[in-house]
Amino acid sequence: MINKNKMTPYIMVSPYIIHFLAFIAFPVIFSFILMFHRWNIISPMQYIGLGNFDHLFQDRLFFKAILNTIIFLVIHIPLQIIVALFFAEMLNQKLKLRGFYRAAFFLPVVVSGVVVTYMWQQLYGYDTGVLNRLLVWLGLGKVGWLLDPKVAMPSIAIMATWKNVGLYIVLFLVGLQSVPQQYYEAADLEGASHWQKFRHITLPMINPTFFMVVVLSTIGGFSLFIEPYIMTDGGPLNSTLSAVLYIYREGFFFYHMGYATTLGFFFALLILAVVVIQRKFVEREI
Amino acid sequence: MKKLNCFPGLVKYQNFYFLLIFLLNFYSCHNKQLSSNNQILYWSSNNTYEIEFSRAVVKEWNRLNPDQRVKFQPVPEGQSSEEVILAAVVGKTTPDIYSNMWQGDVEAYADAGVLVALDTLPGFLEFLNLRCDSQTIAEVTSRDGHIYQIPWKINPIMLISNVNMMKKIGFVTPPVTYSEFLKAGESFKKDIDGDGYVDQWVGYSEVMVRWWQRFFDFYPLYLAASHGAPLVRNNKILFDNIFAVNVFKFLQILYERNYFSKERLSARQDVFLSGVIATRFTGPWEIMHAENFKPEGFEYEFSPVPVPDEFKGEPYTYCDPKNIVIFNTCKDPKIAWEFLKMLTTKEKDLLFLEMTNQLPRRQNIAEDPFFENYFNRNPKMLPFARQAKFVKGTDTSPVLKEIFDIISQEYEACVVYSKKSPEQAIADAAKAARLIVY
Amino acid sequence: MKRIFLHIILIVGAIVFLYPFLWMVTASLSPESEITKLTFLPSTFTLTGYQQMVEKIPIFRAFFNSLLVSLSITAGVLVFGSMVGYALSRLRFRGRNLIFFIIIFTMTLPFQITLIPQYIIMVKLGWVDNYLGLIVPYLMNAFGIIMFRQYFMSLPQDLIDAARIDGCSEARILFGVLWPNSIPALVTVGIITFMASWNEVLWPLIVIRNENLMTMPQLVTLFVVGGRAESQLGVKLASATILAVPIIIAYMFFQRYFIQSMATTGMKE
Repeated sequence: MINKNKMTPYIMVSPYIIHFLAFIAFPVIFSFILMFHRWNIISPMQYIGLGNFDHLFQDRLFFKAILNTIIFLVIHIPLQIIVALFFAEMLNQKLKLRGFYRAAFFLPVVVSGVVVTYMWQQLYGYDTGVLNRLLVWLGLGKVGWLLDPKVAMPSIAIMATWKNVGLYIVLFLVGLQSVPQQYYEAADLEGASHWQKFRHITLPMINPTFFMVVVLSTIGGFSLFIEPYIMTDGGPLNSTLSAVLYIYREGFFFYHMGYATTLGFFFALLILAVVVIQRKFVEREI
Repeated sequence: MKKLNCFPGLVKYQNFYFLLIFLLNFYSCHNKQLSSNNQILYWSSNNTYEIEFSRAVVKEWNRLNPDQRVKFQPVPEGQSSEEVILAAVVGKTTPDIYSNMWQGDVEAYADAGVLVALDTLPGFLEFLNLRCDSQTIAEVTSRDGHIYQIPWKINPIMLISNVNMMKKIGFVTPPVTYSEFLKAGESFKKDIDGDGYVDQWVGYSEVMVRWWQRFFDFYPLYLAASHGAPLVRNNKILFDNIFAVNVFKFLQILYERNYFSKERLSARQDVFLSGVIATRFTGPWEIMHAENFKPEGFEYEFSPVPVPDEFKGEPYTYCDPKNIVIFNTCKDPKIAWEFLKMLTTKEKDLLFLEMTNQLPRRQNIAEDPFFENYFNRNPKMLPFARQAKFVKGTDTSPVLKEIFDIISQEYEACVVYSKKSPEQAIADAAKAARLIVY
Repeated sequence: MKRIFLHIILIVGAIVFLYPFLWMVTASLSPESEITKLTFLPSTFTLTGYQQMVEKIPIFRAFFNSLLVSLSITAGVLVFGSMVGYALSRLRFRGRNLIFFIIIFTMTLPFQITLIPQYIIMVKLGWVDNYLGLIVPYLMNAFGIIMFRQYFMSLPQDLIDAARIDGCSEARILFGVLWPNSIPALVTVGIITFMASWNEVLWPLIVIRNENLMTMPQLVTLFVVGGRAESQLGVKLASATILAVPIIIAYMFFQRYFIQSMATTGMKE
């Protein structure tokens, strides 16, 4: 009986070990091999040494994808924090229908990205989209939401904010509600202003949520795929070409397996580097 | 497994789970189409009419050859038949015969050794000389001198025009040269609802940068202007010439002056049939579509794509060629070849025309009295049949997709967004293309 | 006064978050010619979009596929995740810390690097165009394991000791004793896993080419982006609407659980 129990943990953990070896460890090792080859799956692999790396460092599309991701994050993260915090504050009162509002804000979070993307592609339509019709009705000009290379990525960033902010509203709300009332009362006694209360009591309490928004949004930005795929196919002028879309194209349109793997490797490195930097920087700052 | 007896529910659960996995694997495998032992497996495109045609021919063959049966299946539905074929090649589940192979894909498969060299089959070259002219035969010959495909069917790209709307702006016949076309563009451009934005354009071509979109704008125009010149031959890039530059220039003006819309009109409902655009570059498939969806009183006609003003002679165009191949997983290519001989006779070509409204790639089809009756009854197909004399498929290169992708990138930058001059764009494209050709 | 202001802002906010859905649903029910001019309501309602959609694509088959795949993955994650979580939290064995670090490592590993090699493995195993290719790579989930480990660590030791004294095997302890006491963890991990696997599109696009095996979001994506809809907007809108419907219905009934699940996840990070 005792012997069997001794084996049990190993038996329980073994499916995971097998899975890890097969679907994580082996692919990572295999990718290190693949990066030095040219392969289109149907013909044999061809060793090309550092050829893929050479290509990558001269590949303007690779750097464009990184730039696009940065543009996305620079707009998406602050927007998300501001909007989420704003509505969380609004909801942090005794309100009728609070549950309704919270449910409404959260709805886009659970719906599939495919639905949200297609929906917004229609709303962003230049001639016929509701947004531009509204702008024209207000006497303003039409905006080339998905047509103008300078505006396309910001448009996607706005849509991504719309989709995800509900989650952060809920998280900030939880954070806000966990602040003990006594702190605010004590601050009131000392005559603190609203801003001072916010800065010294509220902000530190919701710091962990801040950090989470930043990290998750960053990872999300580097994982953008279905949004540019449906809305703009990476255009116009590659202004919405995201990292994953580029990998997908290289790997599954052109079957440049070696190069696509190299791209994946460098993007992964980049993500890790950025998150580590953020950890040091963001967590300390606030 | 003593511990399981402690909780009988777990046993049932585990067994059920494994059973489920086994069934899933089995069930999905069932969806894979595997070649049967003695039968030849033949895939056609999944166009409804082609399926009917193929079924009819296969039935006749099986009646006449009961011990050499052919099994027919439409290519499995997927995002695109090209992807499905690649998946089949990779998974070694290819059929014996496939009749919807895009000509541009063949070279890469030939290089990988998955296709049968048809010129080694008895009587093939004689057959081919009867069916096609020498230009076509040269087109389908691979770099190693062998021929891996039978030219099967084409859909030439031409210009469709909205007859009534063109008449209104003074064009009784469709525009022929770049200048005429530009004039039509100026006359047709209109802001209908007075909101300060143009909502009517003379034409539209897909602005998305997908590499195959160029087959419906740049490439037909290039072929027309250059009398069918190649983009690449024998791994040499040849498209940096005056014709490509002029085509880019022409298209760039169309977008600059807003004669073609920059917005992705294809994300809307059909803009040709709703009168938002007056012309379109399209193929014979448009006939069926137009007849199904056109509004009352709508009239349309086909003509060759525009050519430069100084042009003389007959304009060429791109024909979206689909060809027949035999995969090397086929156990008996000679029998497959016998079947294909029957599939491509004149009689069967006529039947194909009747049933599918697609043109077989047979020489002189417009003049051959054998087909006269069909064209009398289907006059809208006649322009395409006449154009069929002056068509080009694709150049022989294993990196055709990459070349078109490069051209598409330059197309977007120069033609749609005017960020470069046509000369610069073509030069850049050629430079990038030379790096990948090997 | 301030409260009215507050309410106005919240109502505007709610409109901003709900209007796009309303537009999409109404547009999918509008006649084709009116869609591009639609703001609130069309002149008549029509079901042609939905009719055509059903004729053109195997949408119900795709729904079934999604259901099958998501349920299998969720079941797998719950079973295997709790197994490993239990072993890590309550059992002592050599290599326990190593495995824990491996799990944390996999959580930080960006998927961009494993994407292509995993596809090649699928090809070699013959799992392309196969349910196994969709399900098996997702059966183990580091997030699920961590959640269960954390939850089990918070349960009182006496519970387990009592079961052990009764002579039960570890398996019975896990499924017979811990599971009934871990409903919140099961619900949280279950909902999040189900939602994530239902909405996953990239992997199905890579692994499945055969239309009959496509998941629902995948089928709608290809339909919306490709030419099968013959440029008819109503059909595409219908497909997008129908993709949203199952989750919205589940959301309407279980909204509290959805929100709670994702909130507790956030807290644990």
